[in-house]
Amino acid sequence: MKKIFFLLIIIFMSTKLFANEDVNNKILKNLRCLVCQGQTISESNSDFAQIIREVVNDKIQEGLTEKEIYKFLSEKYGDWILFNPPFKKNNYLLWLLPYLLFIFGGIIIYLMIKKGLIGKK
Amino acid sequence: MLSNFGVIFSSIALITSFILIYFSFLELKISDSKIPKKIYNFSLAQLIFSLLSFLILLIGYVFSDFSMINVYENSHTTKPLFYKISGTWGNHEGSLLLWTNILVIFSFLFLILTKNKNKNFKILTLIFQNFLIATFFIFLLTNSNPFSPIFPIPNEGMGLNPILQDPALAVHPPLLYVGFVGSSIYFSAALAALISKVEAKSLATTIKPWVSVSWFFQTLGILVGSIWAYYELGWGGYWFWDPVENSSLMPWFLMTALLHSVLVLERRIGLYSWVIILSILTFTMTVIGTFLVRSGILNSVHTFANDPSRGLFILTFLTLMVFSSVFIFFKYAPSEKKTYRIFSKEFFILINNWFMVFFLAVVLIGTLYPVFLDTLVGEKISVGPPYYNFILAPFLIPLLFLMTSGPRHKWVVSELKKIFNVILFLSIFLFLIIFFIIQENNFLIGLILLFSIYLVVQTIFDFYENFKNKSVNFSRIISHLGFGLLIFFISINHIFSTENNFNIRTGEEKDTKDYIIKFEKLTTMSTTNYKSIVGNFKIINKKKLNTKNLKPEIRFYNQPQTITYEASIRSNFFSDTYLTMSNISDTDVFNIKFEKKPFMNFIWFSVLLISFGGLLNFFSRKKQI
Repeated sequence: MKKIFFLLIIIFMSTKLFANEDVNNKILKNLRCLVCQGQTISESNSDFAQIIREVVNDKIQEGLTEKEIYKFLSEKYGDWILFNPPFKKNNYLLWLLPYLLFIFGGIIIYLMIKKGLIGKK
Repeated sequence: MLSNFGVIFSSIALITSFILIYFSFLELKISDSKIPKKIYNFSLAQLIFSLLSFLILLIGYVFSDFSMINVYENSHTTKPLFYKISGTWGNHEGSLLLWTNILVIFSFLFLILTKNKNKNFKILTLIFQNFLIATFFIFLLTNSNPFSPIFPIPNEGMGLNPILQDPALAVHPPLLYVGFVGSSIYFSAALAALISKVEAKSLATTIKPWVSVSWFFQTLGILVGSIWAYYELGWGGYWFWDPVENSSLMPWFLMTALLHSVLVLERRIGLYSWVIILSILTFTMTVIGTFLVRSGILNSVHTFANDPSRGLFILTFLTLMVFSSVFIFFKYAPSEKKTYRIFSKEFFILINNWFMVFFLAVVLIGTLYPVFLDTLVGEKISVGPPYYNFILAPFLIPLLFLMTSGPRHKWVVSELKKIFNVILFLSIFLFLIIFFIIQENNFLIGLILLFSIYLVVQTIFDFYENFKNKSVNFSRIISHLGFGLLIFFISINHIFSTENNFNIRTGEEKDTKDYIIKFEKLTTMSTTNYKSIVGNFKIINKKKLNTKNLKPEIRFYNQPQTITYEASIRSNFFSDTYLTMSNISDTDVFNIKFEKKPFMNFIWFSVLLISFGGLLNFFSRKKQI
């Protein structure tokens, strides 16, 4: 049981590790083109997207990390520009509700098979 | 002229649904085992008038009759005939008429094809269907009339949005609508079954073919939609977790859950109430999807036109529908005391439902959360691919494992299969070879690859084993195989896709790691409905020393005046080469996006396999009857 638990933790942690991907492209893919409809900066051909691409490029040259670039852009344009909503007060529910629902579903299934379990043993 | 006929025909169809509701109600009290002729006749009349009203709009489009606002706003005389026809459902009003027509066709087919002996069950289903039909016709005639006249009659139309002028997008809405509207049948049947106390097996056999058919079309519809997005939008992807895409995916999760739990119901093991809840939820989800798309409360590429009053109508309808369903459910739902044994087939189906509902919840939360946050707090946030990938990807691993193991268990009996068998070791061996070749160091993707290989290998082995025993469940084998392959190829595609973004002038060339991209020249082209600038690119593969010519375009459509960026895609068996160009304003510099996307064809093929399983499920039903 402990092993499984440990394995699960590794699986969930590893989502965070996106190794080897070109940081520049990755950042552009996580930014919304504000003048378009639902496009990312990476996908868009608009002038706005061209400007943001330059900005991101410059910031990388300046030595800013990925997180610092997101922070810089969200301070300027608001969280609307980030496709990965930050984990903060207003978004706790967004990030946690799915997991809570999953656990809730698990409890329901446990209750459904509980009788069968007793019968078996 | 045409306009009047259209309104008359659809009004007659509306009136027949009221007549049908009236006669059906009378019929409920008569304890005769046969459904009277007149109900069949009125249904046929409803079908004919409904189809006629659609035909009227179609004629309007084919002959460019601009006396109807709808044709004037969405068509043009110079448009090719194919797009004149597909333009019929390329707009809100027309697509609503198509939706309603499919609803009528399905109701009629249900009436004549269903062999269920319980008369009141059939009659009640018909009543619920006709309430839906009537609502949609009322919506059509009062709020979204495709036949509205315009005076004075314009000489020329405004044209169809160019990104909709595409063969994939011509078939995409009808496919998806058959999937969407197909779910209305089991919605109505579920409510009818509650009231008329239909027995479990009888309900299951009645709705099963409809679930398979709608699931099949829904899957195909989603596939065609992504293929369209891939080559027409020119964004270099095929799934963007866009709210409108999500609206088509959400009912799909529920249909998949239903497709599985109907099997449990069919064997009288249990889940009667749950199947009914799922049936109600699925159709509710399709209406919510329609609401989200049509009301325009979502920011998306796909919301071409929107209007709050439509949203209000659908929202009212939705509320009424949900409340009456909940009322009927709690009034009539039987109490259920079944035992479910762990490690039996039905146990794994429960788990499948658990995952499907979870996936639905994630997508629903991701789609609606920003809307609620904006309304309640006034804060705007975006929920995009990183969110969905982060939450959903880890859950793929247990899902893949359960898909491998679940189907091998027996009904009712609790039996723990050995996990460590030859197949698993064979899969691990295969995985290690692949792992060695690709050298991917992301642990999560590694695990997803491993478990998708395991699913594929085990499914092939199951097929071989079943084939020896001459009892092959083709539909599950093919669908599960398709899903394993899909996840495998999506992961591989994710790992190996490369992308280069750069600015370039004509005559220059760009040297990347594996390719040299030469921008040879610009040419111009013009046809009846657009002019375009064509970039001539030569892609030289440094290793293989072969060259490919790619010609992305920037098109200037005249009707309506729109600029579109056409990707140039060279699709080989193993890999796609993808190139888009856009000009940077007031300069002679072009921004180029060059991508290599491996296994795209394999991804499409896997989804085809998945959907094909649904079709087989439908036909295998017929054999058993």
